[in-house]
Order: sequence, then structure tokens, then C-alpha cells
Amino acid sequence: MGRGKILAIKWGMNPNSSSLGVDVTFLLVGATVLAAVTPVIGALLRWRRAIPVDQADR
Amino acid sequence: MSVVTSLGRLAARGVEGALAVAVRVWRARQHPPRRARLERFGAILQLTVPRALVFVDRAFARRVLAVDRPAIWAGPETALGDAPLSAPLEAHLQLTNRCDAGCQGCYTGASPEGAPGEWGLAEWMRAIDQLADAGVFHVALGGGESTVLPWLGELAEHARRRGIVPNLTTSGLSNLDRLLAISGQFGQINVSLDGLGATYARVRGFDGFARADAAIRALRRAKREIGINVVVTRHNFDELDRLFAYAAQRRLSEVELLRFKPSGRGARAYAELRCSDAQHRAFLPAVLAAARRHAVRVKVDCSYTPMLAHHRPDRALLAELAVYGCTGGDFLIGAKPGGQLTACSFAGPAPAAPGGERPRVTELLRYWAAPGAFGAFRSWRDAREPCASCDYHSLCRGGCRVVSAHTVGDATAPDPECPRVVDAAARIHVPVVR
Repeated sequence: MGRGKILAIKWGMNPNSSSLGVDVTFLLVGATVLAAVTPVIGALLRWRRAIPVDQADR
Repeated sequence: MSVVTSLGRLAARGVEGALAVAVRVWRARQHPPRRARLERFGAILQLTVPRALVFVDRAFARRVLAVDRPAIWAGPETALGDAPLSAPLEAHLQLTNRCDAGCQGCYTGASPEGAPGEWGLAEWMRAIDQLADAGVFHVALGGGESTVLPWLGELAEHARRRGIVPNLTTSGLSNLDRLLAISGQFGQINVSLDGLGATYARVRGFDGFARADAAIRALRRAKREIGINVVVTRHNFDELDRLFAYAAQRRLSEVELLRFKPSGRGARAYAELRCSDAQHRAFLPAVLAAARRHAVRVKVDCSYTPMLAHHRPDRALLAELAVYGCTGGDFLIGAKPGGQLTACSFAGPAPAAPGGERPRVTELLRYWAAPGAFGAFRSWRDAREPCASCDYHSLCRGGCRVVSAHTVGDATAPDPECPRVVDAAARIHVPVVR
């Protein structure tokens, strides 16, 4: 089995009750910086392994 | 400014940031937010620090989740976007249509009396329960002006208890003390600010800038996660840089830019307030330049995706940032003050399922997978030209359905304000919206 991959990251929270707000700040710095950040996010998630999933989802 | 002063400010911001992170972690321990949800492509995982929803494939999900062979993975692994999610990421709850402001472009046509048949706390708590059962991560609470509701804090607390993070938009024009008392309940609060000084009055139709500014300053003293929502119109477009400067000066966490929609009173004011084609084409460079100059985080709403795609940014990067066009009835849903379920806040009530009535948000689980659910909002895959051949179509999804419905009279038509659509129409000499 492969290590798997992160497909997308939606940053922040959307307080706007009228549309889906997406953070485009990364367009300023480009794919290189995101490529550097993504492994850190992956490591944070793997660090908390065995995350519980609601019974309804199983 | 001296080096010592600059370093002092930097240190102060660092301490403040660390404190905010500590508060966020403490709150997450009190009421842990939903941390994961399985999807056919894998799973969506939620991080509290930094705040993010992370979409991962099945192999990654197996490494971090306590699951073996869940039913939702029985079929072949799909790609993100191949099918609607198993539930929305967020729900936009228009808790009331009461508001005294009377803005000329209000997307809900809010009034001091509100809408007939508005729900109360008990009904909205049941809605939160349904959303939690469905697996929703966040709710965005708004109106009207939802701070007029004495039970707003109770509802936010209930959402927290059910693992949903409540976020809030407010005009900041009234009930500030009530909001300050409950501001800690919310993940993010944004104040609507469509211009500075006289521009605010020009866009909204009344002079409310001083009150909105006072609310922003008071909220920012109480909480770090405060931003502004800016509805971009042809009147404030040239002021965007100044709005970013304002956000930097007030040390706000973000500027969220919203395209003006022909909805509510906004339908009547649309021709006067909507941005021009030239402004749409200039949008992305102008916004990124302002964000860079003032070092402020920028978010844009889903309907701006055609204007981003016009500049042909790295498609893979957009996908990794989850930059999508219309995701109504998929990533997000809305609910009207009487609980009527909608694909997004600007859309009318969702069509009835076969043999049923128009659904309420408390019936989301039953309606979500019904044939024809959310009508035109889920038909974007059957695109016509020039969307069908566009490299960005699977992300953009044809632009804003509400703009198409208003301007062309067909919610399934390509967004008539997309630069690519404008250019295509010009080539075949069709009158277009400029």
C-alpha cells in the first residue's frame, strides 16, 4: 500500500454566510511554497494517527 | 520607525499569535470539532492549528484514521470532484431576515420586520443536529443581522457541542455589546465593510462606516480572528488597495472579497453596482498586488473563479488550494430564515425531490442523495461551450448559477460575466454583459 497523498487543502474558515471563501494568498508565492507546506500538514496529520471517525461513517 | 520599535511590534504580534493558538487549542479540547469524514475519494481531515480542511486519498486516510473497510470505500476510489461530497463542508444559515440597515444591494432584501415564518432557537438547534449527523464541519451564521437574535450565543454553543465550528458575518452596526460577550464562541467573525468613508455610503446607500469601524476595533481587541467581507462593486473596485491597507492597519486576519450578486434588493441594483468586464479582468492582479503590499491574507468567493482562471494560473495549484467555482449543493448549502434548504444563500429554495415537497435544512440527510437534488447546481458536468472545452471547467464549474439565471434567464448557462464567455460571445456577435 502506498503512503497516500494530500489532494487539496482548504485553509481557514469561512464566516461569510453567502459563499464559499477560498484562501488565494498562496497564489502570491506559488506552488513551490505550497509544496513545502504540504508535507508539514501531512506530518501533523500522521502525528495524530488513529483519528476517530463517527460510527455513522464506518 | 526605529528598528527597536519594529522589533517590539513584531514580538508583540508573535506573543499575540501564540496566545491565540493556545486559546484555539483550549477551545478545541473543550468541544472537539469533527476531525474527519470519510469520502469516496478518501477522507476530509480537519486541523485546528493551522485551521484547515485537508482532502486526502484512501491510502493516506488509512494511515491516520481508525477505520478498516468502511462501506463508503466499497466501490472504486474516485477523484475529488468526480461526484458530490457525502455532505456539505459548511452550511450557510440565514438565521433571520431582520436588519435595520436597509442596504440598497442587500442579497436577501432584509427588513426591520424580517421574513414571515422565521425559525426560532429550537428549530435551528434541530438544524444543527441534522448538520452534525450529516458530517458538516462549519456553519456560517448570518442574516439579515443575526446579532439581533438574543439566542445567537446559545446556538453557537450548541454547534460547538455538536462538533461544528460556528462562524459569523455581521454588519457591526448594532448589538455590539451582545456580540462582544459571545465572540469567543466563533471560529472567525467578519464584519461587512464595502468601502471606507464616503465609499461605504455610496455602495450601501447610507453612512455607516464610523459604526462599522468602531465594531471592528472593538472586536479586534477581543479576538484575533476578525476580518472584513467586502462586496466588490464598480464603485469600490478602485479602493481595494485602501481596504487592504485598512485591514493591515487594524491588524485584521483576512479580507474576503465577494462578487456582487443579483439577489434580493441586489437584483434591482445589479446593473448599477456590478463590476465591469474590465474590472473583472483586472481583479486578480489588483487583489494579489494589494495583498502583497499590505501583507494581508485574502480570500475570494466561489463566483470569482472564472476571473481567476482568466489569468491561467497553475491549474494544479488551484486544485490543491480547493479553489472551486460554484459548489452550491455540494461543498456548501444554505438555509433561509424559515429553514428552507437552498444550494447557496443566493439561490431560491431547492427543488422538491420526486414525490416530495421542497426540503427544509432539517431534512438534509434524506434530500442530499435524492435524484435531481439541487437542480441546476449539480448539472455543471453537462457544460456547453465555451465552458465544455475550458481547461479550468472541472474547477470553475461554469461560474455563478445565480448570475446566469438573472442575466441569461437560464441557471445552467455559462456565467455571462466570465471573460472567456464574454470573448466567445464577441466572436459570434452575441450581445454580452460588459
